[in-house]
Amino acid sequence: MKKDQTIGEVLRERGISRRSFLKFCASTASLMALPPSMIPVIAATLEKARRPSVIWLSFQECTGCTESITRSDSSTLEDLIFNVISLDYHHTLQACAGHFAEHIREQVIKDNAGKYILIVDGSIPVKDGGVYSTIAGMSNEQILKETAAHAAAIVAVGTCSAYGGIPKADPNPTGAVSVSDLIKDKPIVNVPGCPPIPNVITGVLVQFLTFGLPELDALGRPKAFYGQSIHDRCYRRPFYDKGLFADSFDDEGARKGWCLYKLGCKGPTTYNACATEKWNFGTSFPIQAGHPCLGCSEPDFWDAGSFYSALSTPTENIGKTAIYATAGGLLAGAAIGGVLRARKQAAVKAHQRVTIDDLDKES
Amino acid sequence: MSGAAFARGYNALKEQIDAPIAAFLSSCVHCGMCAEACLFFTETGDPQYTPIRKVEPLRRVWEQEYTFWGKLSKALGLSKPLTDQDLTDWETLVYDSCTLCGRCSMVCPVGNDIAYMIRKTREGMAAAGHAPEGLIGATQRAITIGSPMGVKLPALQAQIRHTEKEFDLKIPVDVEGTDYLCMLSSMEIMNFPEYIGSIARIFKQADVSWTLSSEAFEATNSGIQIGVSDIAAQLVQRIVDAAEKLKVKAVISPECGHAYMAIRWEGPNLVGKRFGFKVVHILEVLDELRAQGRLKVADRETRKLTYHDPCQIGRRGGVLEQPRNLINMVAENFVEMPEAGKMNWCCGAGGGVSTNERADALRLKTFARKKSQLDAVNPDALVSACSNCRIHLEEGLEEYHMDIPLLSLTETIADHLSDT
Repeated sequence: MKKDQTIGEVLRERGISRRSFLKFCASTASLMALPPSMIPVIAATLEKARRPSVIWLSFQECTGCTESITRSDSSTLEDLIFNVISLDYHHTLQACAGHFAEHIREQVIKDNAGKYILIVDGSIPVKDGGVYSTIAGMSNEQILKETAAHAAAIVAVGTCSAYGGIPKADPNPTGAVSVSDLIKDKPIVNVPGCPPIPNVITGVLVQFLTFGLPELDALGRPKAFYGQSIHDRCYRRPFYDKGLFADSFDDEGARKGWCLYKLGCKGPTTYNACATEKWNFGTSFPIQAGHPCLGCSEPDFWDAGSFYSALSTPTENIGKTAIYATAGGLLAGAAIGGVLRARKQAAVKAHQRVTIDDLDKES
Repeated sequence: MSGAAFARGYNALKEQIDAPIAAFLSSCVHCGMCAEACLFFTETGDPQYTPIRKVEPLRRVWEQEYTFWGKLSKALGLSKPLTDQDLTDWETLVYDSCTLCGRCSMVCPVGNDIAYMIRKTREGMAAAGHAPEGLIGATQRAITIGSPMGVKLPALQAQIRHTEKEFDLKIPVDVEGTDYLCMLSSMEIMNFPEYIGSIARIFKQADVSWTLSSEAFEATNSGIQIGVSDIAAQLVQRIVDAAEKLKVKAVISPECGHAYMAIRWEGPNLVGKRFGFKVVHILEVLDELRAQGRLKVADRETRKLTYHDPCQIGRRGGVLEQPRNLINMVAENFVEMPEAGKMNWCCGAGGGVSTNERADALRLKTFARKKSQLDAVNPDALVSACSNCRIHLEEGLEEYHMDIPLLSLTETIADHLSDT
């Protein structure tokens, strides 16, 4: 693979038609909720972009994020985007190992200082000198700091690198921290999720290559993908609005596909694209499969109480409250109605039979 | 006297306000669509004729007696209580410029039955002594003589004798146990006696068992037009008594609009019980006979005919298909006027307006709408099924120098029957 090729050159070399490329750009634009007028912009920018070097560091993680992105279910173009970003270092995917692998990382840092992108998955253990996770004799913290120092930007993929994730879960035996806890002087884009949606990972990269650093929310997530809550875009939302809930996984409501709020769904407090982008080629997402959202793209989701406890329940006995309120309303209505009825009855009682002699005013 | 009368009228308005009226008045959105539906507004352009405005006295009583804010603003002196002068001011609006045709009720976007409310407003007006002179006279005659036009039994008997002689048939009177008791309107007895001969001939051919009653032949009800339920109930009771005495299966309302509404719709509510007999309009009976193949037509009318739907029979009564079936049976060239049927324009004289001389000029002015409807199809003759419409239409046609003969639908059928 020649280093200085543009993405457009690489695509043509590999026989990717312009049509397929534009289709990819269009789906990416719609994924980011961009107007169609932006499709040619994405295409033009991507075509001309120099393939940036990418170093992917994996720390305390389960490789789920890598699984997610390698099983990218959309068009194979997304894999190609990975090819066209020059992925120079990635534990799971690289062919070489040992000293040779580490040498490549050092070489990339040297050759592309200030230009490469650093992707991190997994949290970094800092307790006890970081002994809980080391690579080639270096602690994760050392590797991160060394690699981050010359990176153009950092993308923290997965909840572990973004917020600490499961390794950080109480009691956090390894003193796991997120990338942003350690690195303060580089732009960091968090792409949380356990794992993040494949298209969202690639989408963030495309957005980054096309438009530069994306607009982020308070938790460092690109607003284009994490701007709305699962709850707001959930197809079961109408049932929530009507107060129709599944009370167990095996009741009438569950079978009818009602809202899973009472079963602990964290959709209302979770910001991610699952409800719209879905998983496995847009097939489904947890709520659609009948399970509440765990809130995996939020910090400390593992410690936010049981996955099966409802976020909050308004009053201890909403049914009773409603009955009392309704009864009160009915009583008040009946009382007012009774007064008015009495008024009308008085008028009926006061009725004097009208005869033909009463019609003439003068008579 | 006037003070006492006003109190009685005010009480009557209070008494009339029921759940539908409260719902109607609170849901009015003041869109003014009813104005465009009203003959009296379209032909004068005068906004005071906006239908919902005609019930203003009723609305004020509702607001001040039955709503919180109305009671409050009345107590604080922010809204003036209804006075006798208000009723005087509304007299012409409630009686002269409303035929109770119900066209406004059809267009109301929130479903307010404005005609129903005007009918109720008249209860208060009449009780307070604000009914028009002509209607008072007619109502008094209806009670004392038995007919608003002062027609007595001997007059009917004379017409019966005359008809029997002319067509050589027997007209049954006071025959017990027949299927139908046939009612008449004074207008038919005095102005269009051909109607009696027509039903006699039709029923003879179709072999219908029927009778007239010497005790109750008048179907019209001035009590409803003037707006006095006490009197209206008394008039309906006469018919109920006769029908029960003769043990008939059904009572036939004649070619008259409000008579049908009075007996069929208001009747049971007025007397406070379910009738033991059915009430049908003559057009319903004739169409049923037609459907059963009991009417044999000898020749068909070749003139271009059109049909004026009387409001109480068509729009308010639902008898819309029957007259068309019947006309098509006897006529080759039947054309519809624009807006015919459910949304037909009123002749301008219903709801007691024809009995109220004060309204004559206004009534004839509104005929312009009927003229434009007729001009659109230019018929050779105009058919209708209401003597009141018929009288007024004739007058209007004369006023506007139009040469179109008026036909009664029943008479037209009778004239085209085969003799056998």
